[in-house]
Amino acid sequence: MADIETPRPIEQDVLAAMSRPSLFYLAAVAGCALLFTGGLSLWAYQVWFGLGVAGINNPIGWGVYITNFVFWVGIAHSGTLISAVLYLFRARFRTSFNRAAEAMTIFSLMVAGLFPLIHLGRVWVFYYLFPYPSERMIWPNFRSPLVWDVFAVSTYMIVSLVFFYVGMVPDLAITRRRRPGFAGKIYGLLSLGWLGTMRQWRHYSRLYLFLAAFATPLVASVHSIVSWDFAVSIIPGWHTTIFAPYFVAGAILSGSAMVITLMVPMRRMLKLETYLEVDHFESIAKILLFTSLIVTFTYIVEQGLAYYGHNSFESGAFTYRATGHYAGLFWLMVLCNSVLPLTLFFKPLRRSLTWLFILSFFVNVGMWLERFVIIVSSLAHDFDPYAWGTYRPTLVEAGITAGSFGLFFLLFLLFVKLLPVLSMTELKEHEK
Amino acid sequence: MTQRYEFDHAGEFLEQLRRLVGEGTPKSNIWVRTPYHLPEVEQLLIGDRPGRMRFFPLAGGLGGFLGGLALTTYTVLSWPIISGGKPIVSWPPFLLIGYLLTILFGSVVSLAGFLLLARLPSPPGLREGEEFSERFIIAVGDWEATWKRPD
Repeated sequence: MADIETPRPIEQDVLAAMSRPSLFYLAAVAGCALLFTGGLSLWAYQVWFGLGVAGINNPIGWGVYITNFVFWVGIAHSGTLISAVLYLFRARFRTSFNRAAEAMTIFSLMVAGLFPLIHLGRVWVFYYLFPYPSERMIWPNFRSPLVWDVFAVSTYMIVSLVFFYVGMVPDLAITRRRRPGFAGKIYGLLSLGWLGTMRQWRHYSRLYLFLAAFATPLVASVHSIVSWDFAVSIIPGWHTTIFAPYFVAGAILSGSAMVITLMVPMRRMLKLETYLEVDHFESIAKILLFTSLIVTFTYIVEQGLAYYGHNSFESGAFTYRATGHYAGLFWLMVLCNSVLPLTLFFKPLRRSLTWLFILSFFVNVGMWLERFVIIVSSLAHDFDPYAWGTYRPTLVEAGITAGSFGLFFLLFLLFVKLLPVLSMTELKEHEK
Repeated sequence: MTQRYEFDHAGEFLEQLRRLVGEGTPKSNIWVRTPYHLPEVEQLLIGDRPGRMRFFPLAGGLGGFLGGLALTTYTVLSWPIISGGKPIVSWPPFLLIGYLLTILFGSVVSLAGFLLLARLPSPPGLREGEEFSERFIIAVGDWEATWKRPD
């Protein structure tokens, strides 16, 4: 049947994007693979010599690994916002971004999931994390936010994966038709033999709506639960009710920035300028600006609560945050997350892809620093001055962090060549 | 006698479908395949009848919620640990587990329900030459005619 049909431009463009690995692309894959292998080797080194090779100490038992965990889980949120929430709101611009944003969600969750394991030290006993009673007398404590976290992140991962896959089924069927040979067979199996009958579309449209409805509350709840890992403890600087909305806004801010970081080069590399329009990027930039304002507001409220709360430990922790050992990082965080995004009030900058790309890099750095500052500076300076300390990440921690970025970008690069990066079916539907 | 119609555009396809329904062709005899979801097709051939898909998220979600509460309550009653002076059966955190499992099981059971109702994976669909088409196809009489080309 395929030979008598005239291929539509959408299919041609999207599938062409999958079939031309340029030299630049191969170089990027090699670079990311190198970073990832470096990180993996350092992890092996840590497993062999023990967690002592990391800089974490007493009192600062949570360092770069937990920072990375929170950072990567945060990155995931914007993908779900774009794919599920904007679907329910019928935002048209989502069609160009949703597939890649969902892929970003899954890859960042995969990377995030590694960090609790890396932080464990003895990774081979990872199953102690799962809440089941055992003869080792490790009885599950469902009152612990760490257990909630296991449930929240695994649920998020599975639901995102289902949503990603279901959204792709008709497109996999198109890819199957356009790809001869063995590859076509694999796409055929993945598409489950989708034919596009009325019965299939009827149930498919309901399923997609239900999945979007199920995924939507996760945008707010997963990072709230991650924030409770901190807020439920009594450490000054952590023990505050503002943490859940604060973390959610931060997650969307960092996720929007990562969407821009990934999409600007992808648009150029895969020649998708017709589909990923500047207007679409402007919409993402508005989300970025809005969440940056919320995050800035939270920074101010947090400081205000500390100073007016008449709790010397709390105000001490916040004074330390802005003036202590990590003050440089704190002010760099303010610059990246609160000051630089203000440039997006100017329309020409909001529509300049070069500026958006540069800004997204700074916001990514700023949001990583935010998590580092919250985690490390609070542990460094809690109640008893005799228990204060400092922490500096070692080369092993820095290398594993770089490796996590390598893995994330590597997975994304493989995705753009192996799966359709735009939702061809939805684009056709909108073309109608 | 099987008739087969093929179109490049949704407009012509819907016009033909309306004509067939208007002429009194039994709806159960009309088979269609489309490259994207067209709610109008359902409206014409099925009407406003809501599908059975909606029961799956309900069952999965409810099962997940009750399962979450049961899991937590049963576990703490069987292996109690007292922490922070809180009651053994602490509803607020247990509701959180229930909430997460509502979403997890709601989604997974919805997917299973979809596969069941849409008859996927579909052996005819996996056969060579019968792929998902980018055209709008109507066959009257025989469902297989939606992919078999008339001689």
